[in-house]
Amino acid sequence: MAITEVERQAPPPDHHPHHREGVVDWITTTDHKKIGILYLFTSFTVFLLGGLLALAVRAELAEPGLQFLTENTYNQVFTMHGTLMIFLFAGQVSTGLANYFVPLQLGAADVAFPRLNAMSYWLYLLGVLMVLSSFLTANGAPAIGWTAYPPLSTAQFTQGPGVDLWILGLAMVGAASIAGAVNLVATIFAGRMPGMTMFRMPLFCWTILVMQLLILFAFPALTAALAMLFLERQFGAGFFNPAQGGSPVLYQHIFWFFGHPEVYIIILPIFGVISEVIPVFSRKPLFGYRAMVFAVFAIAALSFSVWAHHMFVTGAVNLPWFSIMSLLIGVPTGVKIFNWLGTMWRGSIHFTTSMLMAMGFLVVFLIGGITGIFLASPPIDFLVNDTYYVVAHFHYVMVGGLLFGLYAGLYFWFPKMFGRMLSEGWGKVQFWLMFVGFNLTFFPQFFLGLDGMPRRIADYGDFLGWDLWNRLSTAGALLTGISTLPFLWNVYRTFRKGQRAPDDPWGGFSLEWATTSPPPHHNFEELPQIRSERPVFDLRHGDHEAAHTDPERNPDRG
Amino acid sequence: MKGKEESSHQVLATDAPHRLRTDDDPKEDTLDREQRLQRHRRPLLIVPAALLLAGCAPDGVTEQGRDIQGLYNFFLIAAAVVFLLVTGLLIWSVIRYRRRGEELPPQIHGNNKLELTWTILPAILVVVLFIATIQTQNRVTALSDQPAVTIDVLGFQWQWQFNYSGPDGTPGPKVLPQSQDDIPTLRVPEDETIRFRLSSSDVTHSFFVPKALFKRMAVPGRTSEFDMTFDTAGRYPGNCTQYCGLLHDRMVFNVEVMPKAEFDTWYDSEQARAAGAGA
Repeated sequence: MAITEVERQAPPPDHHPHHREGVVDWITTTDHKKIGILYLFTSFTVFLLGGLLALAVRAELAEPGLQFLTENTYNQVFTMHGTLMIFLFAGQVSTGLANYFVPLQLGAADVAFPRLNAMSYWLYLLGVLMVLSSFLTANGAPAIGWTAYPPLSTAQFTQGPGVDLWILGLAMVGAASIAGAVNLVATIFAGRMPGMTMFRMPLFCWTILVMQLLILFAFPALTAALAMLFLERQFGAGFFNPAQGGSPVLYQHIFWFFGHPEVYIIILPIFGVISEVIPVFSRKPLFGYRAMVFAVFAIAALSFSVWAHHMFVTGAVNLPWFSIMSLLIGVPTGVKIFNWLGTMWRGSIHFTTSMLMAMGFLVVFLIGGITGIFLASPPIDFLVNDTYYVVAHFHYVMVGGLLFGLYAGLYFWFPKMFGRMLSEGWGKVQFWLMFVGFNLTFFPQFFLGLDGMPRRIADYGDFLGWDLWNRLSTAGALLTGISTLPFLWNVYRTFRKGQRAPDDPWGGFSLEWATTSPPPHHNFEELPQIRSERPVFDLRHGDHEAAHTDPERNPDRG
Repeated sequence: MKGKEESSHQVLATDAPHRLRTDDDPKEDTLDREQRLQRHRRPLLIVPAALLLAGCAPDGVTEQGRDIQGLYNFFLIAAAVVFLLVTGLLIWSVIRYRRRGEELPPQIHGNNKLELTWTILPAILVVVLFIATIQTQNRVTALSDQPAVTIDVLGFQWQWQFNYSGPDGTPGPKVLPQSQDDIPTLRVPEDETIRFRLSSSDVTHSFFVPKALFKRMAVPGRTSEFDMTFDTAGRYPGNCTQYCGLLHDRMVFNVEVMPKAEFDTWYDSEQARAAGAGA
């Protein structure tokens, strides 16, 4: 193996000179676990707000005619729904999980730069508040769509400080993400304990590594797009104004150079979660570990050469190149799905809520992935681009993929984070409500899209025959919204009177299960020997595994 | 000989529906258990079949649109096969490999041959889809040397303007809505190649005719060209699909596909009217 093990210092003893408590402790903390919880709490709150906005959108679309909102408020609502969900929730919630679990899975005491870590979180919170404060301005929140295409988003067509707050808030979140990425990448490269070689890292750490690398390459493009838009609004810079020699298409290129990798920034950590959950509940090692790692890298590399498939209908991009590159992403993604199935094959599958959520993820992500193949074909894109077909597709990937995967991770790791077990019964109620509600919301939208219903419209004609599917979709959205209540109740009652969690409630494989629930401030009292990608499994079944290991498949094993 | 064969085929073809119809009635009471069970299962099959049908592309009313429709439905078949394969494997694993005891299952770390198979097969499928894509794409985006009519489509907040010109470039009628509530009609002749030149005077819009299965973005500072050949007379809705501000939802138009003669009459009368107004 080319990767050498370097002797490292043992984790430092728990020196905690200024013991603080309560709010002051949460504000001044540099503990990666507390910062992780802050990230999770903040982003989940943003998710609930974004969800309420989604319900407002669905309520308005249930029937033709304008019932609840004016066109102006509707446009603000869908803009802020997209902004909150994509920039402030989906891209950030995994950073919370990563903050908490990457150091634990590597056997480290904290991240590489704990103070930088705290700064990232507080910058993120500031960015969220700035974006939300746009609601309080005279013209209300921006109504420019979360993609903010100029010329519509320039000062000529959208006045008021709302858009400027939106731009600066997102730039702040971008800076927080880049600082966080530097931190996590450094942690993964330099913070691994002796024995934890790269190819013994749990897949979650690999996906976080690649996600953070994507952030380092993609977020500067977002910052550039936002900065140019800001200059255009404030000083008439003319980057996107044809009269000054600029082009609106330029913005789309820069934005999507960030925007497509962003999809993988959101979904790769979920691949990591699923790659932790399925093996543990199937009691088998991840099938094709190395292929899974290479697939993550392949997806990440390809994600930088597909951005213009968002721009097929501009008539201003090379169609075949961006088509074949986008289609090719299906191959490593397929490898991942088949390897997950291979992991379950001949396993001993335990259907906890976490595992059910992972199964839900597989089904909805499969539908999202398959419809993505359609969108990679320019002629098909000429039909479905900017219609509800695209809305359905990316909600299957984002809401479906992200949400089911995220809940799989939350039910899996909640006992470790808080030392108490979530109720499995309420968890299963939540799963079934969510699975039915989600599919009822978004599957009809494929039909609406094929029938020509454009996205981002407040109203549609009653002669178009879109009533039925829209009504079903709204009913589904309501059900999905309701499915959040059992989760909130579950968390509340678990904190009140939940059953105490043991150190390793699931029979876990990776190092976080080798410490107490919740872990002490410095994470570990002692570490087991790390001789494979499943140190805790080896500790439990040492003899069994040694007898059944095929040496050719596992050259890393000592 | 040859003629005889053909005619016998014809007899079979006309016979077939008749035979199907008689198939059911006399055998009604001789249905065995298995067949009866299958009848009960039929509704279960209807749901996925209906979903698949609803998932088909709409019937196109342009030559180019039907090309896209064929490509879409080809993709749909491939997608259905992949979906059924993967969900089938998933459901099988979920049922067959439920935890039944505390015994540790065999610790398999992978299988190179299998993993290679499910890398190469999808790659081949993707290349096939790409080849089909390129072929359709080249036909759909091809520009004719001699379009019968050219229409300059201008999008602006939140309306459309259609300016016609003849094959030699002589300007024709202009269709310009008088108010926001006016829904402009884009009149086009049947079975003729029409050149569209699309542009915008303010923000980005997108010109979409669902029944043509085609849209193109109208970007300020750019003129985008494409051809459509409508071959089914009728009236079809069209709309802007690129979010363009406050009344984006009301930026709609109608397409009216008319027989050539009827279109020419309209064209000439509009020309005469414009000349009269000018004089």
